[in-house]
Amino acid sequence: MRSASAKQQGLTEEDIDEGINNYEASDRFTDAEKAALRYSDYMASDLDKIDEAFYDDLKKYYTSEEIVELGTYIGINIGFHTFFGTLDFYPMFAPDGRLVSQDESKEIYGTTPVSHTEGAMERALELAPDSAAE
Amino acid sequence: MAYIDPAPAENLEKPKIKEYMALAEDLGIADKQFFEVLAHAPNYAEALFNAMRQAYENGGLDVRLKEAIRIQLARLAGDKYFASLRSKKAMKAGLTEELIESACGDFESEPLFTDAHKWAFRYGYLMYREPAKVDKAFYDEGKTHFSEAQIMELGNYMTINYGMQVFIRTLNLVPKDSE
Repeated sequence: MRSASAKQQGLTEEDIDEGINNYEASDRFTDAEKAALRYSDYMASDLDKIDEAFYDDLKKYYTSEEIVELGTYIGINIGFHTFFGTLDFYPMFAPDGRLVSQDESKEIYGTTPVSHTEGAMERALELAPDSAAE
Repeated sequence: MAYIDPAPAENLEKPKIKEYMALAEDLGIADKQFFEVLAHAPNYAEALFNAMRQAYENGGLDVRLKEAIRIQLARLAGDKYFASLRSKKAMKAGLTEELIESACGDFESEPLFTDAHKWAFRYGYLMYREPAKVDKAFYDEGKTHFSEAQIMELGNYMTINYGMQVFIRTLNLVPKDSE
């Protein structure tokens, strides 16, 4: 799923992919954004790396208020995504905006989270009724 | 000492923050330090504490089971702050430190836990250690012990608690009583 307001403000699938897979080396992000992505990455995968030195670095870019906002936002999302991932349900809408069944959604998005640039839109268009009729 | 300094005093004087601080200490589910950090973003502090409190107080599950799971998750997260706190309601209802230790350790062997309890502790453990094992078969087994509403209550309860615990763990927060 994708936040409509984030997309409206210019977030692209390529930004998302870089943010997940290559944020340290990417030229798409500022140092502040990289620090935030690192915060999220480590909170999800390696909590020991978030120590006093880490927070001292984060404070170069963000106020305490912003850090609390980021930290709680990341924590809650980690909690929820892990739980929702066990429930085996899929988005109601395809990337092209069509309302789809759970079976079709599973076919479009796959059973593990992947980039939307790796075929989700293509699969959605292939499965669209207009496409089948051609 | 926490890695983030306490919020400005005026944030802690906001009516809702003061109300929630008193309630939290009364319930035993958070203390002033939690708010001293979270109140840097008062709206977040209010929303999150309210979510934690609703998850704790509402629903049909035994408060002792929920409290034991909360502590189990806090230990999995490595969060010594929330792992050290004790819900007064749960302790008053008969939860003991021995049962908490069993819940956090070898819950499968604890004779005082029913099969339903054991499934719930397994749910918490697997959710945040081996989520791939929380599959259809696992949920089918859960449904022999709990209704779907109760499973949703458990799942949502765990997400809110674990999510907060991983964040709080990183801040080096310790309850004042244990210093």
